[in-house]
Amino acid sequence: MNSMIYKKKGPLAVFLTPALLFMAVFLYYPFVMNVVNSFFNITGLGTAAQGMNTPWYQNYTKLFTDPNMAAAFGNTMLLMILTIVFQVGFALVLALLVDTIRTGSQFFRTVYFFPIVISATALGLLFNLIFLYDGGMVNQLLLKLGIADANTLIDWKDEGHYLFTMFLPVMWQYVGFYFVIIVTGLNNISPDIYEAAEIDGAGGFKRVRYITLPLLHNVLCTCLVLAVTGALKVFDLPWVMMGRGIPMDRSWLTGTYMYEQTFNVGDVDYGSAIAIVIVVLGVIISQLVNRVLKEKEY
Amino acid sequence: MKRIIALVLAIVLSAAMFAGCQKTPAPPESDAGSSTAPAVGNKPVELTVVTSYGGDDGNRANYENAYKAFEAASGNVVKDASGTSNEEWKAKIMADFETGAEPDVLFYFNGNDANKLIEGGKVVSIEEIRKVYPDYASNMKDEMMGASPVDGKNYSVPVNGYWEGLFVNKKVLADCGVEVPGADYTWEQFMKDCKTIADKGYTPIACSLQEVPHYWFEFCTFNFGTVANHATLPASSSDEAGKAWVNGLNDMKAMYEAGFFPKNTTTATDPETFQLMADNKAAFAIDGSWKLGWFEENAANIDDFTVTYVPAKNDRKATDMIGGLSMGYYITKKAWDDPEKQAACVEFVKAMTTDEVVSTFGATAVTALKNGTAVPENANSLVTAALSLTKGATGVAPAAQDLLNQAARNALFADVKNVVTGKTTAEASVDAALAIKG
Repeated sequence: MNSMIYKKKGPLAVFLTPALLFMAVFLYYPFVMNVVNSFFNITGLGTAAQGMNTPWYQNYTKLFTDPNMAAAFGNTMLLMILTIVFQVGFALVLALLVDTIRTGSQFFRTVYFFPIVISATALGLLFNLIFLYDGGMVNQLLLKLGIADANTLIDWKDEGHYLFTMFLPVMWQYVGFYFVIIVTGLNNISPDIYEAAEIDGAGGFKRVRYITLPLLHNVLCTCLVLAVTGALKVFDLPWVMMGRGIPMDRSWLTGTYMYEQTFNVGDVDYGSAIAIVIVVLGVIISQLVNRVLKEKEY
Repeated sequence: MKRIIALVLAIVLSAAMFAGCQKTPAPPESDAGSSTAPAVGNKPVELTVVTSYGGDDGNRANYENAYKAFEAASGNVVKDASGTSNEEWKAKIMADFETGAEPDVLFYFNGNDANKLIEGGKVVSIEEIRKVYPDYASNMKDEMMGASPVDGKNYSVPVNGYWEGLFVNKKVLADCGVEVPGADYTWEQFMKDCKTIADKGYTPIACSLQEVPHYWFEFCTFNFGTVANHATLPASSSDEAGKAWVNGLNDMKAMYEAGFFPKNTTTATDPETFQLMADNKAAFAIDGSWKLGWFEENAANIDDFTVTYVPAKNDRKATDMIGGLSMGYYITKKAWDDPEKQAACVEFVKAMTTDEVVSTFGATAVTALKNGTAVPENANSLVTAALSLTKGATGVAPAAQDLLNQAARNALFADVKNVVTGKTTAEASVDAALAIKG
């Protein structure tokens, strides 16, 4: 009797229709309009287009000649690599360490997950105070320890330090997220396998290398896909800390540069073209990652 | 039966989803000529108000006191959505109007920045409001309210005008043995004094060139023009007005290269650099009359600060200032057409622009009040200096940057950091900004 509902597809289609309509109205239609808008001259959000661009593809050629877009693309790619290495990498190491301790694992889970629940804007303000040039926490420490004086204080947002200052909080914020996913994956590995390995004389490192990592493969794949696609969407924290491309238009990300062009400069059509780049990048990279890191059937 | 229920549920869900997309029923068109004022004293309404008195604005407390007094007297509720006036704030307001999310009352610029609002019929003219409420803004001089460049009509009711001047940290100057600049102060002397101040280990000029180079740009370009021709939009960097802009930017570059701005001026925010003034680490800053309140709130000793004329060169006298009445309260068309909100909006603007309220906002500022502002009895030394400053002005010119559209102004000021660091030339920067049509 229960199986009848799966044989007749009509009711399923009826229930799926509202969600499909919702997606069509609030995702696919805006996306198509965004593509259309990228060919027109629009000088303010919501204002009517003032005719087509001449040539109609000018925004797409501009993408390749705009130095700020080059910086945004480069920084986003760098962020993607750093995300894989530091966010997922650190999360894996921390999860393996916490998994080995018998008491206090719940405490560490909470501590490492905590930054996730703080809003990125608040974190941005917090790290702004930490890296402030005049009176910031780090520079005050350097002064107190005699490592720097008033003339040799570090401007943590200058061209020599901006990448560190911008990416450190982003990395720190999401380590806990992947940590929790990996710890959950570790909990699903049967202790019997470890016991058998121990009896066979496998040490701690070998157990991780030949049991834990292979059995975590699918979990790590999920983490990597989330990390890579998530890196394309990072906006709020860098915007609060390095708004408007500080320093010297070097710190743009694709997301922050799209916002700047659309909302501050009022070049809506160029902002639309950048948005399309973000979507295309996201689709290509997530497909690439999915193919490289195919999930295994156990 | 189950299928029918499922079908009905699905239709209801779909219909509910699209309900939000329906066009809001248009409120009855106000026929200004024949309609009468909706009765005041109707049920209390909530008014959404956007002003520039947000953040650390010096008049924030005065604004809060004024609208809370209005709430107490009228029973209406003010939903304050104020922000800090900058390019992002302006862009957000424009986006709100364009997406139909505009406030009921808006305190905004009355120059070119508001052109889109006037052209799009998004705000109501004072002439139209007076047809229904004849005493609206009757305490103001019509010719000083700040007519729109679009059609020459008044749309906004100003509160306090503004002037821009040189704020000075007297304590830093005294430690450096430098005199407080006066009316006959020259640019050459100013540069010499900045050198002395820098040599002593202080920051001569508190300014974030990456965020708010606007005021220094205004005066540096003013130094190559006159009160009569300062507010002229150049056609290119090579005409007379364009050369003034190029020379002004090159003067800023010279100041940057001399090390007169904070070391992190190309990465710091405006509040960060201004804090140097409060901390007695910087000597000079140019800002507007609205900054008096900031000093009153942040200075350990207000007597350590004064405000004076910005040093001059060429034909400009130091006593020639930048100023005017550039902002005022608008009532949006959306609120005006709402019978429940119309009277409340009018009452709100009237309450916020009485002689008493305006006087609390800026006794020292240019005013459109017929009776003038009341000078505070216990004025501190900074306010006294500001009164003396405006009294001694030999000419007042409006800000030239207000002639640019949003995108062009944004591009010009975003490029200042590139000009001062030599990544681009002043000519290229000016031409690139002027080429942006908005």
